[in-house]
Amino acid sequence: MTTTPTLSETHRDAADLDRWLARRRWARAGWLYVFMLVMSIFFLGPFLMGLLSSMKDNPNEYPPRLVIPQLTPQSISKAYSLGVQGAGSGWNGGLTPGHTVTFDVSVRSPADAPQVPPTVALFPYQPTSLVAIARQAQATDYATVKTVQTGQLGEVRSYRITVDYPALTSQQGQVIEATLATPDANLNAKLPSGQTVPITLDTPAAQDKQYSLNATQAVELVRANDQYYLRGPVFERTPLQVDVQRGQSIVSSTLPPSDRQNFGRSFAYRNITPGVLGYTFNNYRRAFTETTNPQTGRSLFFSWVLNTFFYAFLRVSAAIVFCSLAGYALARMDFPGKNLIFVGGVLFVQMVPDQVNLVSNYVLLQDLGLLNIWGLWFNGLVAAGGVFLMKQFFEGMPKELEESAAIDGAGPLVTFFRVMLPQAGPALIALAITQFQGAWNDFFWPLVILRQNTDYLLTVGLVNFRQLYGGQGDYGLILAGAVLSAIPVIIIFVVFQRYFVDTGADSAVKG
Amino acid sequence: MLKKGQTPAAYLFLAPFLITIGIFFFYAFARAIYYSFTDFNLFNDPTLIGVKPYVDVLSDPSFRRALANSLVFAVITTTLQTVGALLMAVALNNKIRGMAFFRAAWYMPSITSSVVITLIFLWLFQRRGVANYAITQWQTFLPYTLTLLGVLIAAQVAQVLWERSRRLPAGWFDPALAAVSLLIAVAVTAALSWTGVLSARDVAPYDFQYFSDRWISIGGVQILSIPMLVIIIQNTFTTIPTLMLFFLAGLQNIPGALYEAADIDGATPAQKLLNVTVPMLRPVSFYVITVGLIGTMKMFDQVAVIGSAAPRDTLITLAYYVYTNTFKAGAAPVNMAAAAAIVLAAIILLMVFLQRRFISSEAI
Repeated sequence: MTTTPTLSETHRDAADLDRWLARRRWARAGWLYVFMLVMSIFFLGPFLMGLLSSMKDNPNEYPPRLVIPQLTPQSISKAYSLGVQGAGSGWNGGLTPGHTVTFDVSVRSPADAPQVPPTVALFPYQPTSLVAIARQAQATDYATVKTVQTGQLGEVRSYRITVDYPALTSQQGQVIEATLATPDANLNAKLPSGQTVPITLDTPAAQDKQYSLNATQAVELVRANDQYYLRGPVFERTPLQVDVQRGQSIVSSTLPPSDRQNFGRSFAYRNITPGVLGYTFNNYRRAFTETTNPQTGRSLFFSWVLNTFFYAFLRVSAAIVFCSLAGYALARMDFPGKNLIFVGGVLFVQMVPDQVNLVSNYVLLQDLGLLNIWGLWFNGLVAAGGVFLMKQFFEGMPKELEESAAIDGAGPLVTFFRVMLPQAGPALIALAITQFQGAWNDFFWPLVILRQNTDYLLTVGLVNFRQLYGGQGDYGLILAGAVLSAIPVIIIFVVFQRYFVDTGADSAVKG
Repeated sequence: MLKKGQTPAAYLFLAPFLITIGIFFFYAFARAIYYSFTDFNLFNDPTLIGVKPYVDVLSDPSFRRALANSLVFAVITTTLQTVGALLMAVALNNKIRGMAFFRAAWYMPSITSSVVITLIFLWLFQRRGVANYAITQWQTFLPYTLTLLGVLIAAQVAQVLWERSRRLPAGWFDPALAAVSLLIAVAVTAALSWTGVLSARDVAPYDFQYFSDRWISIGGVQILSIPMLVIIIQNTFTTIPTLMLFFLAGLQNIPGALYEAADIDGATPAQKLLNVTVPMLRPVSFYVITVGLIGTMKMFDQVAVIGSAAPRDTLITLAYYVYTNTFKAGAAPVNMAAAAAIVLAAIILLMVFLQRRFISSEAI
């Protein structure tokens, strides 16, 4: 026998169903959020991995670790205090004359192993630069290293390593940082004021070392009795190596090692006086300091950044004037050949690949002697994409504006500059942003046109980084360079996000 | 309306634009066509030699490889990025809180330069890189993943059957039940792992060399190289967000009434996507596919950045072929480069023409 449900039963069923549907909606939103998060990780992941690894001593370490000593507070504070000990600067670090640095390591020596202290030595470091730079003085030739046992806990002994860098002169006075200039009969130094002065070498130690110093070497001088005495070269880094005997192992050290070899018996520290910049941002600092141009001593990476900003500025300003003029003419004026210009000059130009014009434009710019940023700018002076964007924008503006201007007797130029252009604010911002982004990320034409490594834009320079460090790839430097070169566009994106989303998409869909 | 005297003003306004494209586009284009019929090598005075450069190019094995690579790359990448962008746009079109953040995060790959992203991908896909590490980890923890999935499916089936026995209209993918199933699956996996039944497998580190001379072949014909596959992944990753914006703009123009009608007819989300969203997005899809094909056929940056890190044949594309032939050491076969460039332009224009002719006519 079947029973028809009573009123209260159907009521309860309906309430159940409502609750059930509500639960379903909540769950769907939850899954959606999970999906969005997973996709965000997918889209941001490579950048985050690159960013984190650009801080590491060895970005190729395998297996990759997510805990990076360069980012832990205790390592950073150690790096800071070591920088203070070595050069009196917690940020920049380095080793300067007259400073003493202490560095602790603990070594486990089981009863059956040798009980001797570790072998400690400074080692030379030459930057593998983009271009051969003059050989720099090395801390190992100037500083002395001493190891003292400071304690023992079971099988673990702790040792204190003292790196002492005595000044080459005993003169007292004002300490000045300078760089060596080209030597003549004397050793000369270029002071921060730009003045070149002869250096007095008053001790046998200083006289001994004078021939191992090259021009552009950073040094400290003492100014006393109107003479400049050499205190000694300044080192950006103090590389240290610690080896223990077979059977022993290194348990801990003030800073984690940059490299371990020989089954954990040989530790190399890239820099024991790093300071925060030299420790956490070492690769970033290297991108600037290890890419100097031998002729000028200027950082190539820095020139690339400036070039890129300059090129972007040129392109944005040209686009704002010329693209809006052309876009306005195509959108609001009547003249013969209008359609032909739009289809042929705007749409067709965007379809045909740049490579078609490669040979001709290269030959042309070469003949004009314009294989530089100006030629690059000239080559893409009015971007077809920008014209398209402005045309779409002006088409959407009310006709009445022009009509009232015409009634007032304004000519086309006055109408455009006084009436239309001031109304085009948002479109101009969008145009400026797309052009900036385009210039910043431009690669093909800069690669073709720019022939001097001082003229490069960042993109071309970065590729050069990769090719020169080749083979193994100095990925610390490459990743740091990549992160640095991405920062400006990311900042622009975060600030003007709305305009990025507005550009193109809407107009293209409408059109 | 002011009509008279507009022509001089219009041409004045257009002058910088017309001069630029006149010199650097149309003149260059004409000269490229001219060079493609000469023996020009960057250092001599060109003399006409007829279609020989085209014959040379077409019989150059490296050009054929470049052509095949370009076409395979364009077809696969365009398909992947169009489908991906559509799905992402549908997901982003939901009205939930925090959408601005997700939109910004997803858009990131589109704003950074192709050079930066290619360098990061080169690093990720090294022999001992993050990609291989992730695969190693996946293999190591495969028992966990399989258990989790198995329990998840079993729990979902059990729950759906139970709900249906209570006369509630539960679907197989019901989200609320799936959440509960996931909790059950996590608990069971954790318990099995804790009792020692489940453990990580011991696998050798996966060290596949991505930038080497390896190919996916069909019937002995080399179709797609592994380095090219990495570029396809990278290119899809960077272009999805841009194309997603076009779809998003298109989605916002679809009247909501259509979806309400579909709801009344009891359509599932998948049916709504296929029967309402996709047909309504035809014009946008046409645009996206056109842009995608043009962009992928022109692809140059990634290949140039990777350069000699991968064997030449695996990555050479038409654009890169043109570039390398122009800047070859010594007397460069610039005439061949020009001929190849004309072929590339012709292919792109043909693609656009075919699409306009056959696809867009029914789309609008």
